[in-house]
Amino acid sequence: MKEEQSVLSKYLCPYCSEVFLDRESLKTHVIKQHRSEAPPSPEGMIRVTINGEPYELMVEPEWTLYQLIHDKLGLTGAKMFCDRGACGSCTIIMNGRPILSCMTLAIECDGANIETIEGIAASKHPLIDAYVKHHAMQCGYCTPGFIVTAKALLDENPNPTEEQIREALSGNLCRCGTYPQHAKAILEAAEKLGKGD
Amino acid sequence: MAKKMPGDYERIQTEGMYRIGADVPTIVYREIGKRGVKRIDGYEKASGKALYTRDIQLPGMLYARVLKSPYARAKISRLDTSRAEALDGVRAIIRYDDPEVKGRPLNGSYFGPEWVCPDLAGWALKPVHLVLGDEAWYEGQPLGVAVAADDEETATEALKLIDIEWEQLPFVLDQEEAIKPDAPVLRPGAESNILEDPRTRIEKGDVEKGFQEADKIIEFKAKRRAHLWAGAELPSVVVRWRGDNLEMWVHSQQPYHQKMLLAEWLGIPMNKITVHVPYQGCSFGGRGNPANNSENGMNILASLLSKKTGRPVKFLYDRSETFFGESGDMMVSHFKVGAKNDGTITAVHIKNVFAVYMCTPGIEHLIDNTKIPNLLCESIVADVSIAPAWWCRCEQLPNCFCLTLIFDHVAAELGLDPIEVALRNDGCDGKDTSYLAEYKRQHGFPERDSLRECIEAGKKAIDWDNKWHPPGTKRLPNGKMHGIAFTWDHQWDDVRGTGSAAVMIENDGSVSIIAQHADIGVNPWTTYCQIVADELGVRFDDVNIKPFELDSGFAMMSPDGSCNLVSNGNVVRKAAQKARRMLLELAATKFEDVKPDDLEVKDSMVFVKESPEKKMTIKEIVAKAMPMFDSCVFWTEAPIVAWAWHTQGLWGEALETGRPRLCRQAHFIEIEVDTDTGQIEVTKVVNVNDVGKAISPETVEGQMYGGTYMGLGRALTEELIWDKKTGVLLNRNLLDYKYATMLDVGPIETIIVETGMGHGPYGTTGIGEDTATIIPALLGPAVYNAIGKWIDDFPITPDKVLKALGKA
Repeated sequence: MKEEQSVLSKYLCPYCSEVFLDRESLKTHVIKQHRSEAPPSPEGMIRVTINGEPYELMVEPEWTLYQLIHDKLGLTGAKMFCDRGACGSCTIIMNGRPILSCMTLAIECDGANIETIEGIAASKHPLIDAYVKHHAMQCGYCTPGFIVTAKALLDENPNPTEEQIREALSGNLCRCGTYPQHAKAILEAAEKLGKGD
Repeated sequence: MAKKMPGDYERIQTEGMYRIGADVPTIVYREIGKRGVKRIDGYEKASGKALYTRDIQLPGMLYARVLKSPYARAKISRLDTSRAEALDGVRAIIRYDDPEVKGRPLNGSYFGPEWVCPDLAGWALKPVHLVLGDEAWYEGQPLGVAVAADDEETATEALKLIDIEWEQLPFVLDQEEAIKPDAPVLRPGAESNILEDPRTRIEKGDVEKGFQEADKIIEFKAKRRAHLWAGAELPSVVVRWRGDNLEMWVHSQQPYHQKMLLAEWLGIPMNKITVHVPYQGCSFGGRGNPANNSENGMNILASLLSKKTGRPVKFLYDRSETFFGESGDMMVSHFKVGAKNDGTITAVHIKNVFAVYMCTPGIEHLIDNTKIPNLLCESIVADVSIAPAWWCRCEQLPNCFCLTLIFDHVAAELGLDPIEVALRNDGCDGKDTSYLAEYKRQHGFPERDSLRECIEAGKKAIDWDNKWHPPGTKRLPNGKMHGIAFTWDHQWDDVRGTGSAAVMIENDGSVSIIAQHADIGVNPWTTYCQIVADELGVRFDDVNIKPFELDSGFAMMSPDGSCNLVSNGNVVRKAAQKARRMLLELAATKFEDVKPDDLEVKDSMVFVKESPEKKMTIKEIVAKAMPMFDSCVFWTEAPIVAWAWHTQGLWGEALETGRPRLCRQAHFIEIEVDTDTGQIEVTKVVNVNDVGKAISPETVEGQMYGGTYMGLGRALTEELIWDKKTGVLLNRNLLDYKYATMLDVGPIETIIVETGMGHGPYGTTGIGEDTATIIPALLGPAVYNAIGKWIDDFPITPDKVLKALGKA
């Protein structure tokens, strides 16, 4: 299982064997304590922030960001639906923009700030409750992709019109046809955010 | 007493079987029918925590894939897997000529050849159903080789490294071509491509007599092309052997069937298989095809590969692979209809030619639903080189297609309002509505006119009286032509379904529903909890269901055929009633001088009816009633757990089983047609469904607007397109196969009518399939109303509109 080992590794100081949780701490330690050059970043390593947490990850060049977050990190809220950038179910927010994680190579994400549905839910974003209340879901498979897209919209435009919502979510497919409920949920969440609830 | 109408219901055998007559509730509704009940799957789904089969990963898991035929009809003439076997990371390969699979078909003979088997529905068209064969009868057929590897990419790469020589064979795609004398015969040993099916001739009355009685004979031809269900979650299964025991995580709406079939194929007892059914990313019946390659076949191959490698195996299809074997059927139909000037239809003769036939010829709704006395439906079923169809929301498509086109053509030819024609012909089995009224009286139903109620509500919502106009006469200020149309039908398919479940009161007073059930998105579990809460007298929040953890032996009716709630609602209701009785018997021992009947349960409190101040929490009553305890306890009481079983009916046999359909539905659509581009814009849809009783109104509405999007996709844009020269499907992805998005449809209004005349619990009917199945054909009369030309070829794409207008 070479992939599992390569994803998350601890950082061991080559001089004193002290263990660090991330490369940055190891680098500071090596320069300060041992007055040595910092060890070079290994090929295939990316540093990303996911839901506010820093990660240093070894990735294969062919991995998509979807594979990384869904298969390797177990953040399974991003879903594989259309298989090729047509449905929006794998949407995550990268540096403030909603993007399709299935169409993005993980290795190109070095330095990125990523938000997934898990982070949005953990922050108790009002979209979550509003989606449940308004039944803006049936099978639920595409739901995280819609909520992530809606969150990116509200970050950009805290008071969207119904038309702007429809436009923003038009790249997300829902086979159950829950479409009419989304605007209701998003407008309610926007109102709650506006009131600072 | 006069013999009860309409049948003698010989098949009612036990208390578990379905009921004839109105369901008069014995409880006060608190949760049932209430808006704002929090759906119990809601937070999991919204927060991304809900796990689906595709999300399941196990330690050491391998990934498996199977080779698919790239040709419409071909045979493997040489196969060399050595390069694939040598690929780093490939752990096991199964070839079609390996002894485990050689010549072995998909199975399903449990109940005889007509049930849960590959010979059901569209699959009946294919001469062989091998798990892994060497001959392809359609493009995309799994055959030749299955491979398991360390990751998905390696498995995919290994399939590419197989050296294979194909012998391509002549194929035919179109059903009308297939029945011509010079067409290549597809089935070995057959004389033609015409397939036998007992339902290809259905006759009631005398159509020739009916035509003689008519003032007008109307004839037309219509065509339905293939569309796909294309569910959100891609097919997969995860299998792990634990010694002789096998564990699997299925993507299916019928987990119990999967277990049954796999046990039979592998020759192991069912009690050695544990099935998990996580959340299911859509299904609509599509993952209810237990005996086909993409369910049973996949499960079998995953089990064999897992056995071979000693590791868990996840078997996967990609999106393009879902385009084969999951479509609806295709039909070309010739209609001859006789009608009187007042709109009374005297005879209907339908002649169909089907491909990938779903065993529903198209005349059944005219039998179940109208007073038309003379009906004849003759069908030819042709074998073609296309993957078999499957019943997906739903097999009633031919029936709705025929009913809508017949009624709307008749109205147009006679210059009548289609609503008038519907009301004039409403009835059942050739008899008029007075027959239904008598049935309602005999069986305790309210005497409400469901169709009229649905129509009145819908007319008002769409402003029919002001908007309906003669065809091709209303040009809007934006230059487009305005069209409006109406159709109707009955609520079907509340007649089948069997399930079992238990209701248990845990020793803290909380209530568990114990059973396995697949959640495909119709919010079933919330409704079961609502029913159990009301029947037991407990708070909704005190009830929970954890069905996919529990391969407990209790298996609820799968969410098929719009029979989910009508079956399982009865199951959990009966179990809750039994558990309530047990609770009251135990409670009677804890109060002084009371009998069980002196007690009542409300808001999770048990109290004496005559003196409500004498009360105890359920927890206080059941604290010692538990299935087990450790050795330090001094005594326990019998656990409160009750199970029930229920069969809601026999498939499709509404009349034979004594339950004519009493609930109706009406649908209205408004469109604008751009006569320069041929573009059709749907500006409003109004759906009115008499669901008898809505347990969860939001869920009912969800099915109504969800069905509208699916139905309009089928009407406007969803079509499988093959290359005629090569027989290969051209649009096998979701960019080129177009569903409706949020921008594609104007407002959808959903109106729920509740007459209580359904045959399900509390008078409910099924709702899951109706709208998506009825809406597609409704676009035809709407376009006719807009441009004055019939386009009876579905989907109605802009090129067809321009052709009809003489512009292309």
